[in-house]
Amino acid sequence: MDKVLKINKSMEKGIIDLLKFLLESKKVDGIFTLRKLGQNNVDYALITDVSGLNDAVPFYPLMPANAGKILSHLTQKKPIKKPIAAVVRPCELRAFVELVKREQGSLENFLFISSSCGGVFPIKSIEQKDFDKYISNYWDTVKNADISADIRSTCKACEYFTPYSADITVSLVGEKKLDKECRIFLNTDKANQAIKGFDGEISEEEFESSEISSLLEKRKTEKKKLFDEIHIEDLGLEGMVEVFGKCIGCHVCSRVCPICYCILCDFESATYDYSQSDYEKELHKKGGLRLPPDTIFFQIGRLTHMSFSCVGCGMCTDVCPVDIPVAAIFQKTGEETRQLFDYLPGKDVEETIPVMIFKEEEFTELGE
Amino acid sequence: MNTAENESYSPKKGAVISIKDSINKTIISFFKGALEKKIFDAVLIPVKVPAGDSYTWILIEDVSLFKDAAPIAPIMPVQGANALSSLTRKGKGNLKIAAIMRPCEIRAAIELSKLEQVHLENVFLFSFDCPGALPLSDYVQNPPKGEEVFESFFTKNKWNEESIKPICKMCDNFSLPNCDLHFGILGTEKNDLLLIPNSIKGEGVLNEMGIAFKNDLSEWKKKVDEIKKQREKTKKEAYHTIQPMVEGLDNLAQTFAKCIGCHNCMSVCPICYCRQCYFDSEVSKFTSDNYLLRAEKRGGLRFPTDIILFQSGRMSHMSLSCVSCGMCEDVCPASIPIAQIFSFIANETQKAFEYQPGRNVGEPLPLKEYKEEELQELKKLVNDSVGQE
Repeated sequence: MDKVLKINKSMEKGIIDLLKFLLESKKVDGIFTLRKLGQNNVDYALITDVSGLNDAVPFYPLMPANAGKILSHLTQKKPIKKPIAAVVRPCELRAFVELVKREQGSLENFLFISSSCGGVFPIKSIEQKDFDKYISNYWDTVKNADISADIRSTCKACEYFTPYSADITVSLVGEKKLDKECRIFLNTDKANQAIKGFDGEISEEEFESSEISSLLEKRKTEKKKLFDEIHIEDLGLEGMVEVFGKCIGCHVCSRVCPICYCILCDFESATYDYSQSDYEKELHKKGGLRLPPDTIFFQIGRLTHMSFSCVGCGMCTDVCPVDIPVAAIFQKTGEETRQLFDYLPGKDVEETIPVMIFKEEEFTELGE
Repeated sequence: MNTAENESYSPKKGAVISIKDSINKTIISFFKGALEKKIFDAVLIPVKVPAGDSYTWILIEDVSLFKDAAPIAPIMPVQGANALSSLTRKGKGNLKIAAIMRPCEIRAAIELSKLEQVHLENVFLFSFDCPGALPLSDYVQNPPKGEEVFESFFTKNKWNEESIKPICKMCDNFSLPNCDLHFGILGTEKNDLLLIPNSIKGEGVLNEMGIAFKNDLSEWKKKVDEIKKQREKTKKEAYHTIQPMVEGLDNLAQTFAKCIGCHNCMSVCPICYCRQCYFDSEVSKFTSDNYLLRAEKRGGLRFPTDIILFQSGRMSHMSLSCVSCGMCEDVCPASIPIAQIFSFIANETQKAFEYQPGRNVGEPLPLKEYKEEELQELKKLVNDSVGQE
């Protein structure tokens, strides 16, 4: 059984009350969460003043940036010295854990609050006139453990919608009484310490529910559909040209990717600046030359660099100016590579990234 | 002599060639002829990608590859100056290259040559009266529709100001950049295409091709001026809308509230050539203490941080060379009218130095030049403020 704190208030109000309590009682010195900014828009903010929490919208279904990347920026030079509560989605938490493994941040002093996640809308959705309707429909689907038609395709296909290393998990999926009741699961001692003194009823309940299993099944079906549509297995080089032919080489997929942390991407380095005589040789061989070059090379290179750690957040697809289903391709490839190593990115900070370990008796079949 | 430096050249006559099948096909057959005559060794030109859902820059040597080429393409997925820069950044080569690009791409290429990122020796620049480009996002949603819309600009002989990028609607610099040869589309008879030499080098190409240029350009000029006037009006109106969005810090903050800090505006900008942007570098990263302190000072700190700093920093770094091509706006995932904002600012900064980016290779970048008697009005401002203290 899991330990749960029940608040007889709507989820929205319950969470804000909890965050206010944490800040006011000095259990933490700051809250990192989504904040409403203008009509439909949100941003991430580190809030240190209680009044700032009036604009907080912790589980608003938008991801303007992967919070894992932001927390890495915050802590990559030095762990944060004061306790901070961070409200993040499961894939964002997994991204942060992956980054910590890659020495791009520190988990120190964080109290992680996450939830079972219904997914997020593409960033561009906020331009829709009836965005309010999107939001209300969204919460209906979350209550019913359904998949919202308007969320990122990557979210629709996400099987890892419950967090692994959160101290606190807010139950959202399948919570029919979301408007009246808020169930907050306390997963760690840190969580128990944090809520001490907060008004609410504590009991023992299972976090896993039939609703969560039912959503998992639906997500699996969606995933199959998504992967079938792209049929990456059959792609080959020609297929890659077909899919990535319209890539404009802006590399924004790597810029928003939480895992791509390199300050200067290898593919933007001087290594791939060619001289005209290099180009001339290629030109005479092929009769024609695409400029700038290395479009597919970049994609394959990035795949090999980060697909082990791809958390399937979908940021890349969301920002692609030419609508290439980058995330689905990376998700699928990531799944294949991870299976070889029985590895799930961001599940456990103690687990080493597969390419960092050498096992003498590994992949012996490749030698045959 | 590099013809692009030929400041005094102004075209008086042009050649008329008849359009066969389409303007694009006619331009292609011109290039085929030039390749066969070895006037050039290769042509840099937009070509439809295999899936048919976009265009890419291809340097063509083998004429059979012209099959899917479209010198005047409906979209600008990659700024032509960037394609030219990847080819020539490391210096000139042995090949004589013809590049056909939109006027804003030519201007960017000239700016990049001043910044040593493009080498124009051995490059012949071709341009055309540009009807504008469709927004990239509109096109990729439905490429066949985009083709149809763009095609109608030429078949109905009426440029459609509605469906082009906002920055193109306000572009009054859409004809005859500082190229060697220019294809005139406007003000011609239905089946005619004008070929206008715009440099000694351009005249040389026509002579080698055996094309006489004796035709009067007055009708073309008249039509160009007519559209220019319209565009100037649109530009004025657009600037009027943009101005309040960028006046003062509060308005700037509101305008960039949606910015997600992906810096893709900078990635695709032909002028932003730095391999590593200052704002992505180690100096722009701070310790957690610093972030916490900033948060505590104001009660909250937005992440990613320093969005206005990046935007205003980029502005101050590149606005003098901004060619208003609109690449930034085309790729912005947050739909910020970034190109219009930068164009508005650039218009002001460029005016202050009487500088037009890409007008001429010989014209130095304003910030690289020191004139003792420059910006005297600032002296007054400084004196006034000192007087007040």
